[in-house]
Amino acid sequence: MLIFLLRRLIQACFVMIIISVISFAIQGNLGDPIQQMVSVTASQDERNQLRESLGLNDNFINQYWRFAKKAVQGDLGTSFYYKKPVLEVIFQKVPATLELAFCAILLIIFVATPCGVLAAIKPKNPISRLIMIVSSIGLSVPIFIVAIFMVYFFSIEWNVAPSFGRGETTEILGLWESGLFTKDGLSHLLLPSLSLAIALMPIFIRLIRAEMMEVLQSEYIRFAWSKGLSTPRIYFIHALKNTMLPIITVGGIQAGTLVAYTILTETIFQWPGMGFLFMDAVSRVDTPLISAYLIVVGGMFVMTNTLVDLVYGLVNPTVRLASHGI
Amino acid sequence: MNIKVMIAGCLALLLLSKASASTLRMAFNADPISLDPHEHLSEGTLQFSHLVFDPLLRWNKQGQFESRLATKWQRLDSRTIRFYLRQNVTFHSGNKFSANDVAYTINRLKISPDFRAMFDTIDSTSIIDDYTIDVHATTPNPLLLNIMTYVFPMDKTFYKDQDQIIKYGETFASRNVSGTGPFTLVSRELGSRMELKRSPAYWDTKSVGNVDQIILTPIRADSTRLAALLSGDVDFIFPISPIDIERTKRASGIQVVTLPSTRILLLHMNQNRREEFQDIRVRKAINLAINQSLIVEKIQKGYATPAGQLSSDRFLGYVKNLKPEYDLAKALELMKEAGYEKGFRISMMAPNNRYLNDEKIAQAISAMLARINITVDLKTLPKAQYFKEFNNKTADIMMLGWLSDTMDSNNLFEFIIACQDVETGFGAYNASEYCNHSIDENIKQANREMNPERRIRLLQQIEQAVYNDSVVVPLYWQQLTWAAKNKVRIQDIVNDQNYPYLGDLVIEDE
Amino acid sequence: MKYNKKDLTHPISGDRWNHIWSGFIGDKLAVLALLIFLFYCAISLLAPLLAPFDIDDPAFMDLMNSEIAPSWISHDYRFLLGTDAQGRDLLSVILYGTRLSLTIGICAVLIQATLGICIGLIAGYLGGRIDNFLMRCADIQLSFSNMMVAIVFLAIFQSLFGIAMYQQLAMVILILVIGLTEWPLFARTVRASVLAEKQQEYVDAARVMGISSKRIMFRHILPNTLSPILVIFTVQIANAIVAEAALSFLGLGMPSTEPSLGSLIAEGMAYMFAGSWWICVIPSVTLIILILAMNLLGDWLRDHLNPKVYKD
Repeated sequence: MLIFLLRRLIQACFVMIIISVISFAIQGNLGDPIQQMVSVTASQDERNQLRESLGLNDNFINQYWRFAKKAVQGDLGTSFYYKKPVLEVIFQKVPATLELAFCAILLIIFVATPCGVLAAIKPKNPISRLIMIVSSIGLSVPIFIVAIFMVYFFSIEWNVAPSFGRGETTEILGLWESGLFTKDGLSHLLLPSLSLAIALMPIFIRLIRAEMMEVLQSEYIRFAWSKGLSTPRIYFIHALKNTMLPIITVGGIQAGTLVAYTILTETIFQWPGMGFLFMDAVSRVDTPLISAYLIVVGGMFVMTNTLVDLVYGLVNPTVRLASHGI
Repeated sequence: MNIKVMIAGCLALLLLSKASASTLRMAFNADPISLDPHEHLSEGTLQFSHLVFDPLLRWNKQGQFESRLATKWQRLDSRTIRFYLRQNVTFHSGNKFSANDVAYTINRLKISPDFRAMFDTIDSTSIIDDYTIDVHATTPNPLLLNIMTYVFPMDKTFYKDQDQIIKYGETFASRNVSGTGPFTLVSRELGSRMELKRSPAYWDTKSVGNVDQIILTPIRADSTRLAALLSGDVDFIFPISPIDIERTKRASGIQVVTLPSTRILLLHMNQNRREEFQDIRVRKAINLAINQSLIVEKIQKGYATPAGQLSSDRFLGYVKNLKPEYDLAKALELMKEAGYEKGFRISMMAPNNRYLNDEKIAQAISAMLARINITVDLKTLPKAQYFKEFNNKTADIMMLGWLSDTMDSNNLFEFIIACQDVETGFGAYNASEYCNHSIDENIKQANREMNPERRIRLLQQIEQAVYNDSVVVPLYWQQLTWAAKNKVRIQDIVNDQNYPYLGDLVIEDE
Repeated sequence: MKYNKKDLTHPISGDRWNHIWSGFIGDKLAVLALLIFLFYCAISLLAPLLAPFDIDDPAFMDLMNSEIAPSWISHDYRFLLGTDAQGRDLLSVILYGTRLSLTIGICAVLIQATLGICIGLIAGYLGGRIDNFLMRCADIQLSFSNMMVAIVFLAIFQSLFGIAMYQQLAMVILILVIGLTEWPLFARTVRASVLAEKQQEYVDAARVMGISSKRIMFRHILPNTLSPILVIFTVQIANAIVAEAALSFLGLGMPSTEPSLGSLIAEGMAYMFAGSWWICVIPSVTLIILILAMNLLGDWLRDHLNPKVYKD
């Protein structure tokens, strides 16, 4: 177990190093930092002097080493536009994105699980058929189209829910700006989280159904039937529990898709989260911000994946034996 | 823990809903990049200046001057105006306002890279007493008062010794602000939210304005901004895209206010980058190939005025018979004459979030130029990127919108047409890199000319010369379009310069 | 990550294909999906012939004709599906847009498949450390969503080359970025098949006969892994097209002068409220039908070829 753990950690570090090299390369190559720092009238000498004093004439490895040392200390540079340390800028936007993702995940869990289970245990039922048809179609509608039409109908035509921003937020413990505790904040969450959930729901419904059907045919369930256990108990305790393992794995992988989709959702709904920030930074060529976003999101990925792997390893001992691949 | 937080949240909600009676939530297309009123000469900065600072004097709706921090003024001679300042005015920092602050502000304006071209005409100030100050122009200056509308006195004690101006840089003044204006800054999250509250000590107690709190959210996308208004998220938006105006007018509880403005949209054809553009026949052909009226009709849905010259009809330089022309056959012929029958390939840049429908207009223009065999590689950039490119003049054709700061034709000529001069700031936005010394002479002459009739003749002469030489392609004069809930009486406070005087805004009770 | 060996161990014989084909013909939905896909391919290939207007003609974009509703509403029969805000004939623009979207989708998946198959074969056949390494790479790659990677890389390219340069290279960059980000799906499936095949007697026999491992891999093992590849191929084309549309929608894909379906939708969005819904709705419907057909086809193949495809 210890070796497994160690391996995963080394791997995580390795990935982070690669990410940091990429993001360093971005910082170095996108736009000349000197251009951004001095006024237009500065002479060539002044520029060269500044270049020297900033160490921009050193070789790539030295510069990278300096960058990495600073990065480990939490200093990823200063945003050109916000004129603040980039990490501060990004962390200010983290709550918005996490809340959006969290609500979407809640919606997915509470809608996809019953739908998937129903479709698995009663495949011939008209409702299950409807669920499957809808999820097939849902799988084919890109998220941005869902979002556009939601904005159009729900907020412009029918005025049911607002379509931009987070609305009223309250500060919790002085750290976390939350929109979950005000009616206004919740109503603002409705459309973005719904479109995010709708985009990912079909995958999970189909997955739960498929896994569930497989489990229902296993001897273990047949044995449970013959033992005379109650129907809901079999379905929801014994069968569902066993479908969870692959779903966790897929969920871990889909977390990446979720982050990508938050970029789209946030852009459409002007949700002041990290994705919106990133697209803004791209349009402003705010390179320190772009590269810091890369590191932060990369770090989040690596962390969740390592955690999922470890949890998986704890839950399912066979993984430890064949820890690589299949 | 959670319950406590919930209760706190509910309480906050209650309190806020009570206070929101006179809260103005507005969504504009941009927020000021910097809090320093002298860093950028831009609409966003000036709008912000009118909130947090007060000018010495300002324009009212009738085009007259209205006293603000200067109670009255008096022309001593052709070069000097004496201003009598308002007493008992304090800055948000608590410092008292006096003539020192005015002198300080004018000196700072004189070194601001964006404002110095306008303020170079001011030689010095002399402080008579605490509340009297004389402003001396270098030469007899007919527009001295127009320029003084840009003096938003800054708190000298507050800014002193840390007042450097760095464009896009981080300075004390770009993060901190102390003015005398109706609102004080509460918080600012660049690019997403700015909150202001009414200054309790504001001197203008007679103002009918009843807005206690302003929450400004920049929303870039036109449709999102409109959706925010329609769904009740905000009370006041600018601008509303012309394509949506007809339908918005039919929405209940929403009003649309439009005003013709003097902002001209134009295209620069860079003569240094392209030798083709040095040929007047090519420039003329481009002018003839672009159909301004069609652009206005189809893209702006009629909410603009097609332009054949730079000065709008409010300005002295306006020449009545210079109309936009469109004649494709003639344009083709001119191209042929110039030896470019087969056309050529050029690059063009336009912003995509600065002027209403700017990207669509740029696309339409590139299609129109294709008719005379000019292939356009069009790039449209977000404005933050665009204006850096504009400063570097990185494309052959660049789009620019210009609002005459002094409400006078000569300002257009000074910045857009005059030869470039880094020292004086002349021609700072001349991306044509066109340089004609006789026009320059006239521009300088018009800056000094005190005789109104001679001055009109001069300005019209320049306008005619610019037209004859096809220096730029004027497109149209923009119209300003606002929309708000009916209870927000915006029609009283908006103006054709687009500096809404929100201090005087009334929100009616529902 | 268990797999059922039984599913993988039948080399598909000619009989099996016949069987699949007859099953296919019997399934009306699958036939319909295939027909739709073929129809899209046909109109994409023939776009220059089918389009009523030549999009390269300077007269194509004429503001005079802007925002004309589809012909069944406006009764303007010059423009079957109406025109967009710039006066372009929507039908022609959509035809070319589909062509572009489909080209990007198919090319990107070809890259994915080539890369994935090679890596999968090598990993599966050689095994050991190489296998370990390659599969860890695949895991890492998979853990970053391809959309995310694509967004980041396109954003970087855009700033690196400047928007001008980028717009010229947009198509190639899109294909490369989408192509290079999703190979692990192919690689894993192929590897799993190879592992199963490797234990088959015919492989041992081939090895004993002294046939080179390259030949064994490509001539003997690969043909037997075709059915899962076919399934992934179909589904991935759909995914690639969606990815391209989403990227274009964000302004990171095709420029508005050379619109794909995604950029058409993004542009049309502004006209929804004003009542010119067709500019947004018609390209959206075109896109959705294409994706739906591809997904249905993929589902059917999965059900009937019954390969164990590694789900993402």
